[in-house]
Amino acid sequence: MGHVSRRLSSSLAVSTAHLKHFPPREATLRTKKATFDPETWAALQPPPPSALMAFANRIGLRAVLTTPTAVQRACTHKSFLDLHARYYPLSPPPPNNANLAVLGNALMGLFASEHLHATYPHLPTRVLKAAVSAHVGPLTCAGVAQEMGAVPLLRWHRQPATPTSPALLHSEALASIPRALAALVYQERCLASARKFVHSFFLNRRVDVRAMLKFRDPKRALMETVAKFQREPPKSRLLKETGRFSNSPIFVVGIYTGADKLGEGFGSSLKMAEYRAAEDALHRLYLTRTPPHVLKLPSSTFGEHADIYKLTDAAPYSPGELGESEALYASSGRSGVLAPRRRAPEVES
Amino acid sequence: MFRPPRLPFGLSSRCRTYATRKPEKPPARFPDPLKNDSNAVVTVLQDDSNLTFIYRPPPSVPSPHSTTLDPASPLLKSPTPSNGSGGPFPPLLRPSSYKPEPERVSREVIEKIRELRLSEPGTYSRTKLAKMFNCTPNFISKIAALRRPQRKQFRGKLEAEHVAVRERWGERKATVVAIRQKRREFW
Repeated sequence: MGHVSRRLSSSLAVSTAHLKHFPPREATLRTKKATFDPETWAALQPPPPSALMAFANRIGLRAVLTTPTAVQRACTHKSFLDLHARYYPLSPPPPNNANLAVLGNALMGLFASEHLHATYPHLPTRVLKAAVSAHVGPLTCAGVAQEMGAVPLLRWHRQPATPTSPALLHSEALASIPRALAALVYQERCLASARKFVHSFFLNRRVDVRAMLKFRDPKRALMETVAKFQREPPKSRLLKETGRFSNSPIFVVGIYTGADKLGEGFGSSLKMAEYRAAEDALHRLYLTRTPPHVLKLPSSTFGEHADIYKLTDAAPYSPGELGESEALYASSGRSGVLAPRRRAPEVES
Repeated sequence: MFRPPRLPFGLSSRCRTYATRKPEKPPARFPDPLKNDSNAVVTVLQDDSNLTFIYRPPPSVPSPHSTTLDPASPLLKSPTPSNGSGGPFPPLLRPSSYKPEPERVSREVIEKIRELRLSEPGTYSRTKLAKMFNCTPNFISKIAALRRPQRKQFRGKLEAEHVAVRERWGERKATVVAIRQKRREFW
């Protein structure tokens, strides 16, 4: 099997039944100038309508994506336009998913951040951002597109890095497909349906938020956090120990504020156990989650069958608790925001 | 009174013993942890089934799972009133924690410290000022921080001294220190 036929059979959904002319005239023309590249030709052909409708049925959006052209639009990346214009300059440019992908990205960011913030009200901002990226970021979108089976339907063209833009990767082109689908659901139906789509494909995935919490100095962070909650300063106490002067000691240390134990940690040295106890205390605070039956999302105030420009009768909504923001330390009084440099005022002589 | 080990009366008249014999110890009896557990909750059923239920909670870390309705962190609950009847607490980790906190310094003293530190940081070092005014060097850093270029200068000098010391280490010492630093990453 040659390279072209192998690639055609494995990665591209190409069949010839739906094409108007096969074999293409360019393949059989014998002139000195004309060169026919079967690989490029295969990449330019649209996928068969049966594959497109099978995809729409597979992801459960048959009612939203009613025609093969709608699915094709969602699966065409904007990098494909250059390639198409080069070989078919006279035909109109195919509809692409650039606008839909931007809208869908914004919608997914909205749904993911409101869901995560409502689920973990006390999570630090940087960890919330990392969790949102893990749920609806570019790599996750590409993975979901692969799981949906959109890889043979994607039409794109690899672009090398230019001085103004980075190189276009396959995962980036794939990621545009679920985003475009979210935007299509929003356009054809309503905000609530788009939220349901994003929840079922992205926000039901299990992501380990605990692994994203890393501290530079957990003892100091705990001290600042306890001061923010206006409690007594934390004190470390030795709960259990064994083998103190042996080669494998174990210490269990608890950090207390007054009579309450904030966290517990074990280690092979006193310092290590105290470090882990401080981390445990902060984990217990930051990873407090809202139970699903209590969870209320702000976008539910738009009501069913509504978009953001039309207000309908909103369902009764009681906001969840607003957590304390993370206590900053060692920031030298700056919040991490870069302020523009102020020039020294010119002295008038 | 110390009694030297002897064989039982009947045997001692029939066989020889030696002074180098090892002393006999009574058989070691270890307390049964199942019986001597203060955390155990024992319930004896009163009916004729004659059953005893013993509940022993496992000595493991309390569950870290925390929900907003039942938070695991005491910071999200109201503080338990700390009166004397709470019972004894585990000992503090370090002996220095038992020292009483030093008296808070007044505003005038803070101004004085700032004046001295910012005028001549070389002569009035943090440790010297801490001894003069009965506080800690970290406190001096916080209330009388130097300007950024000066801080960099001092840090650079200190770093140069440390680098000179590190150069003199042998291979074994450097390896041990590197291993310790790597272990620290896995805390």
